[in-house]
Amino acid sequence: MEPTDIKKAIECIIFVSDQPVSVDKLQQVFTELEKGDMRKYLKELIQEWGALGRGIILEEVAGGYQFRTDPAYSEYITNFNKRVKKFRLSRAALEVLAIIAYKQPVTRVEVESIRGVDSSGVINALLERRILEIKGRKEVIGKPFLYGTTGEFLEVFGLKNLSDLPTLKEIDEISKNLDTGILSLPEELS
Amino acid sequence: MNENTHEADAFSPHEPCLVKTHLFEGPLDLLLHLIKKNEVDIYDIPIAVITEQYIEYLDLMKELDLQVVGEYLVIAAELSLIKSRMLLPKPVIEEDELDPRAELVRRLIEYQRYRDAANELIGREILGRDVFKRDFDMSVYVTEEEIELVPVDLWSLIETFRDFYRKRSHLWADQIVFEVESVTIEDKIAEVLGKLRVKAVIRFEEFLEECASKFDLVVTFLALLELARMENILVVQEAHGSPILISYSGEPNIGTY
Repeated sequence: MEPTDIKKAIECIIFVSDQPVSVDKLQQVFTELEKGDMRKYLKELIQEWGALGRGIILEEVAGGYQFRTDPAYSEYITNFNKRVKKFRLSRAALEVLAIIAYKQPVTRVEVESIRGVDSSGVINALLERRILEIKGRKEVIGKPFLYGTTGEFLEVFGLKNLSDLPTLKEIDEISKNLDTGILSLPEELS
Repeated sequence: MNENTHEADAFSPHEPCLVKTHLFEGPLDLLLHLIKKNEVDIYDIPIAVITEQYIEYLDLMKELDLQVVGEYLVIAAELSLIKSRMLLPKPVIEEDELDPRAELVRRLIEYQRYRDAANELIGREILGRDVFKRDFDMSVYVTEEEIELVPVDLWSLIETFRDFYRKRSHLWADQIVFEVESVTIEDKIAEVLGKLRVKAVIRFEEFLEECASKFDLVVTFLALLELARMENILVVQEAHGSPILISYSGEPNIGTY
């Protein structure tokens, strides 16, 4: 099979999939191809689609590849298709999601201790929407559930993988400041 | 005990609206707001001022008839404690003595870090808001691809039908039929195919549940059997004992019917 044909076949598969297509999945079809070659083709495909400058973009997301629309035209899509599932997340849900995304696997109590508010309702709703999932149980008293994010989370937020998450402000620095006495008692009080 | 946002309906419409936190997500959020509003250094919070404003806000919530949830009160108590500790003269000067505010500051900063991260997340190009993928019902492919579907044998199908019939038969026990029903298997086949064109996969029992009478039930079952025989539908399940699924596999083969 010629590389151009392989690339066309790959884009056909991505086109008909409603979920990001991973290299592993593609390899089940193109068994004779090396993973490295597959990645090379995919990279080329992304570039070629990008070079076309069309409304459709081929993107690497959630551990796979997916055709998506150019964000510049979102308005037209929502106007055209009223059926489109509108994305909605409350601030509470976003906070919970952020904590779990960065700290996973994490228990509900740990999430709540950071937010300072009960978060069970929000966690359940996010579980229902399959943005979160139960990753296991923590080996402590009561064996609470450990929560983590799903592939769908990555897909929704357009992340390649978890390490694609924007880096959090370093908390170490903060703790260091606390230790070095920036917070020590004011002179007149001590 | 609860938190609520104006958008909570997107999640849990049954949550009682205790606090209108479309303003604040919780006590820490409120505190961060006060710190920002007063333009004070988070590492050097003027506890007396902030505590006063914090309590004022809680009073306002009470005035507005909003129930002040426990979490707000916990932090109020904590603030008061810190305030009193800071006022107390220290009998002994200890080098390692931490600022009474330290723990609260640590919590505030940690919370702020995730709040910022949440803002960053929502600022991304969100699928379903900014970017879209192809919108079509792939459930039939997905189930075939990701879950090994096993064909349902005739006996399981009949057993399921029988169980359903037994469970429901009392409903029709004293039903009086006023007219001769004229639904034919052909009519039913068309109806079933129509439904499957709208929704690619339908549970077997869903078809049965919709039946209004015993007669209807039997006709539906026969129609499904006929469609399966003609290979217009696939009768599958994820594993033995799991719900039987009906999916559309092609246009009716007029020739054999």
